Amino acid sequence: MSSMKKRCVHWTKGADSMDFTEKVFLRDVIGEHMTALGRADERVVMVNADLMGTCRCRGFAEAFPERSFNVGIAEQNMVSFAAGLAHEGFVPYVFSMVPFITMRACEQCRTDVAYAGLPVRFIAPYAGLSGGISGATHWGIEDCAIMGAMPGMTVLEPCDPRQAEQMLDVSRSCEGPVYLRCSVEPVVRVYGEDYQFQTGKADTVREGQDGAFLCAGITVKYALMAAEAVAEQTGKQIRVVDMHTFKPLDREAVLRAAETGHVIAAQDHVRIGGLGYAAAAVLAEAGVQTQFRILGVPDVFETMAHAPYLYHKFGYDDAGLTAAMLELLG
Amino acid sequence: MITTVEGLRQAALAIRKDLLELCSLQTIHIGGDLSVTDVMTVLWQYQMHYDPQDIHAEDRDRFVLSKGHASAVTSFNQAAIGCFDREDVLREYATDGGRFSMHSCRLVNPFVEVSTGSLGHGFPVACGMAAGLRLKHNDTSRVYVVMGDGEQSEGSVWEAAMNAAHLKLGNLVAIIDLNGLEADGSIYELTGLDSVAEKYRSFGWRVCEFDGHDIAEIKRQFDSLPPASSETPTVFVCHTVKGKGVPFMEDQPRWHAGRITREQYEEALRTLDERG
Repeated sequence: MSSMKKRCVHWTKGADSMDFTEKVFLRDVIGEHMTALGRADERVVMVNADLMGTCRCRGFAEAFPERSFNVGIAEQNMVSFAAGLAHEGFVPYVFSMVPFITMRACEQCRTDVAYAGLPVRFIAPYAGLSGGISGATHWGIEDCAIMGAMPGMTVLEPCDPRQAEQMLDVSRSCEGPVYLRCSVEPVVRVYGEDYQFQTGKADTVREGQDGAFLCAGITVKYALMAAEAVAEQTGKQIRVVDMHTFKPLDREAVLRAAETGHVIAAQDHVRIGGLGYAAAAVLAEAGVQTQFRILGVPDVFETMAHAPYLYHKFGYDDAGLTAAMLELLG
Repeated sequence: MITTVEGLRQAALAIRKDLLELCSLQTIHIGGDLSVTDVMTVLWQYQMHYDPQDIHAEDRDRFVLSKGHASAVTSFNQAAIGCFDREDVLREYATDGGRFSMHSCRLVNPFVEVSTGSLGHGFPVACGMAAGLRLKHNDTSRVYVVMGDGEQSEGSVWEAAMNAAHLKLGNLVAIIDLNGLEADGSIYELTGLDSVAEKYRSFGWRVCEFDGHDIAEIKRQFDSLPPASSETPTVFVCHTVKGKGVPFMEDQPRWHAGRITREQYEEALRTLDERG
């Protein structure tokens, strides 16, 4: 974006201006908020596998050392152990990078936690390509497809600090397991003081009737920037819908977006099995026709690079979203 | 609760007869059920503090069947202490809508603490439960977890073994049914397991290695457990025979799982009665 500060003309959520140069790190916010959660509820325990620093868990561990378990580099045990704590009435928050929870310990998540319907919460930084220069081993690009396929698993992705905190607050009393993926790329403040997160209820963060971006996490920022750019260039107003709950998906929000006739689903995830596929299924089942594009990671392994470079290369940064919407609008 | 060795021997014999009757009706994991029958009988019918009328009591002992395929021997022992009738197991095991599955499932059977079946899962879950008890300042309950010997090949077993000793979970008792056979044959030919006792000892566990068919010895080992508040987890390495008690099944990989004919059932019962 050219200017330092962009006004969102159809802003609906309290804040009437946004600073796209701001850098907010969600894992810092989450780590800090965990201490408040621990204070509010003594059932809250933390389980980690040697990534206390990376996952910003040290504050909680210092405040509640007896409720903090670091099992060492043993993610399978981390998840099963957390399931055991949940069997005994605790609400474990399990922290590790996306791939190490969702792939290394995939069966433990599914069999020990989801099958048992236990209130374990998986908090997974390094969502999408935000692991950037760490390379594909540390990327979390298949997680929504994997975790979303597990019966009873709620899948969340925050885009904003207030939303992330509220997701944590809500997760305390959720029935069944919750998976929360979180980018380590900086985000901006999207929501105002009066924001109220509701699981499964998407938030329209910018109004518009000419097209719609369905997005989540880091792509919310890019979609807001793209909507502004499209408005500047064409005068057309593009809705931006924060699909923060991947599962259960807000079907109504998808169908309302389709009424604009031009829908782009963009997520920092492989296209296959991600937000776009989930939205497409809603549209197909409803028999709704619309211009529709899915943006995300293509079906290839890319070599390491900084995340913004990769987002640009794969066409789902602000420039990519702008170009895709302009093309869709014809 | 049965407190005498002779009483427990008779109870184990009854469990074997139950298993064979079920095996004449359904395919069950009969080999591993029979090998762990003696230790399971002493555990459920003598050792464990567990009231079928109050299954969520905080002061109960917890049981996790990490070798989840030994569900039949677990169910018959639970029937023996009054969780349900043995006829319920015979009637419902592996039937549509039944409470008793080939691998223990808590969705339909509330007496199952942890659903299991995939190996290497129950043990680390049990570690978490033991840690949870500590966190609740429950210093009297124990967590008993039964594993197979083939299961020891799972990496997650050793993640948990390391963690349990590190966390000083003296309230955790692991029981390994060392029958020497896994589904495809001898564990010593298939894997490099070697001395499992040495391995646990080197991981910092209290290791008790004994004949898993000697009821008096099993009872003595349970009686000698350090208090739940102690700081070293215990493992029982139980030397057993797969298919124990039924000559045509003993030490035969073929009888990892299977169903027997009416004639085989009657022959097996005769042998059991002759041996007492």
